[in-house]
Amino acid sequence: MNPFRVALAVARKDLRSEWRTREVVPALAQFIILALLIGNFGFQIDSRNATTIAPGILWLALVFAGLVAFGRTFAAEREQASLEAMLMTPASPVAIFAGKALAAGALLVICEAVLLPALSILFGTPFSGEVVAAVLLATFGMAALGVLFAAIVARVRARELLLPLLTLPLWIPFVIAGGVAVQSAMGLPGNYQQAIGLLIDFDILFVVLTSLAARFVLDE
Amino acid sequence: MNRYEKAAAAAVALMLVAAGAIFLYAPGDALQGPVQRIFYLHVSSAIAAYGCFAVVLVGGIIYLRNESPAADRFARAGALVGVVFTTVTLVMGMLWAKPIWGSFWTWDARLTSTLVLWIIYAGYLLVRRLAEPGRGAARIAAVVGIFGFIDVPVVHFSVTWWRTQHPGPIVVNNALPAEMLATFLFTLVCTLVLAAVLIAIRYRIETLLDAKMAIAEPAKLVSAQQPEAVP
Amino acid sequence: MSIIVANGLTHHFGNEPALEGVDLVLDMGEHMAVLGDNGAGKTTLLRILATALRPTAGRLQIAGLDAFRERRRLRHYLGYVAHAPGLYPALSAAENLQFFCDLQDVARSRVQEVLDAVGLKMVGHRRSDQLSRGMQQRLAIGRAILHEPRLLILDEPDASLGSDAADLLMAMMRDKTVVLATHDHALANRLCPRTLVLRHGRSVGTATRLRVVQ
Repeated sequence: MNPFRVALAVARKDLRSEWRTREVVPALAQFIILALLIGNFGFQIDSRNATTIAPGILWLALVFAGLVAFGRTFAAEREQASLEAMLMTPASPVAIFAGKALAAGALLVICEAVLLPALSILFGTPFSGEVVAAVLLATFGMAALGVLFAAIVARVRARELLLPLLTLPLWIPFVIAGGVAVQSAMGLPGNYQQAIGLLIDFDILFVVLTSLAARFVLDE
Repeated sequence: MNRYEKAAAAAVALMLVAAGAIFLYAPGDALQGPVQRIFYLHVSSAIAAYGCFAVVLVGGIIYLRNESPAADRFARAGALVGVVFTTVTLVMGMLWAKPIWGSFWTWDARLTSTLVLWIIYAGYLLVRRLAEPGRGAARIAAVVGIFGFIDVPVVHFSVTWWRTQHPGPIVVNNALPAEMLATFLFTLVCTLVLAAVLIAIRYRIETLLDAKMAIAEPAKLVSAQQPEAVP
Repeated sequence: MSIIVANGLTHHFGNEPALEGVDLVLDMGEHMAVLGDNGAGKTTLLRILATALRPTAGRLQIAGLDAFRERRRLRHYLGYVAHAPGLYPALSAAENLQFFCDLQDVARSRVQEVLDAVGLKMVGHRRSDQLSRGMQQRLAIGRAILHEPRLLILDEPDASLGSDAADLLMAMMRDKTVVLATHDHALANRLCPRTLVLRHGRSVGTATRLRVVQ
């Protein structure tokens, strides 16, 4: 059983389910719109401070949207007892985990595809390949962590409280490095190269760790 | 007195001696005044907390490898005692910050990572409390503990790096005169002893709690009846 | 040869005992029914036998292998129908099966074969949440046999099936070793020469045919 094929099959299945039921994407869209609205009315935004405030709104929206997206990856599985059916096959739990992280990450990327241009249009911030690269790199690591911890809290009470509590401390390095990367890409002081380098380092570290941990979390 | 009570008494006595050293032996600080004396316990507490979380880390790793219930109990004990010491560290830090820096909080690397530490292990304790007790809970808690331990230096590093992107106030470290260093080391040792005693006591409590659960109340089960099947 | 050798299987959910010291031996090709009231421990026992759950105590060997250590290997060998169907509601019946083919490296041609075998040929394209409960159960059974397992663990497979449940199950069970949990004593009698009765987590004797009372 090729683990890559298993992971792709799982990712495809999750995305197809989501496409047909459209449960997660509207919730994410809500967050994005709310974040943009609140950002506009909560701050006094003018052309001078837009680039200072916009990155903050970006990361706030992403973190909360991420919590929703990853929180849901195991909600449906649990309710349908289908996760157990998957785990009962000889397929490797790490491959299953990777597939779910891919699918949930893809949903978040779809959000970002809307959020970034919207931010640029509404707040006048520059929208460049550098901004996109930073956001994508951060999403990668955040997805691995978010999905692992979603699996951890899937069978625990008070899921909605525990997921943010456990996940946010692990996302802080990504928000810090990603924040500096986006800010410097938008013209504020900060070393873009270093920030991207850090994001890549964090990605590698946490993707390796979550892959190692997946079999303890998913399997009996 | 059983041996736990004796150990506890000894640990408390040591802490009182340390308190004496802090207030009577150590010289005052010209710049910061009496508030500076918080530093002895604040830093010792922080180090003790990290020590406790190292116990959680090692316990978790051992548990994942061979499912030893003792390792899991050490992890639980270490997490609880560690959170207590982290709380003490945070509170003392804030008490010290107010007169020195003018505000209770600043987002510098040490305070931020201590706060993150607190959040992570508070999360660990919550997971243990909310998950159904058993192998599954011990396993996921071990994973949380391991990730948490690794995350703290990563956060610390990230915040330090972040500070270099934004020029800001730098905290100056003065060299410590000999008496202060001696007092600090003594306090540190006493605090570590206290932490070890607390972990040992808590380990004992966890052992008793585990035993209570494992006595799976066979009295509740109806005694097996005669087979009613016909061969 | 003995396919299942279980010794002292015990399981507690936290403080709650579910199974206490259950022994059983099952030979190749035997069909065994597990009977008992709700809460007697049938599902727990079946989950342990299917390697979906690790017991708090006890030993289990399947096909001569340690059930826990070799569980990944054993899953090629066994098929499990759980209490809940565990299907993906937004996917069609065929897509559900295709997905499990992909997970297990089974050729996709099996999907049609299995749909035929469980009588769902006409509704393969329908979303599984639009299938009747009985059809969902059939689909779950189909999923369990995709990889042609030699050992079947079935938890109340007859639950929503209609009057032809016995025929379908008999066809499924032919030439395989089977453990089947059910409430239906008559069905158990028809399909399984051996029975194991559970009460409050303890086995009250295994036997051959159980005499149906009333």
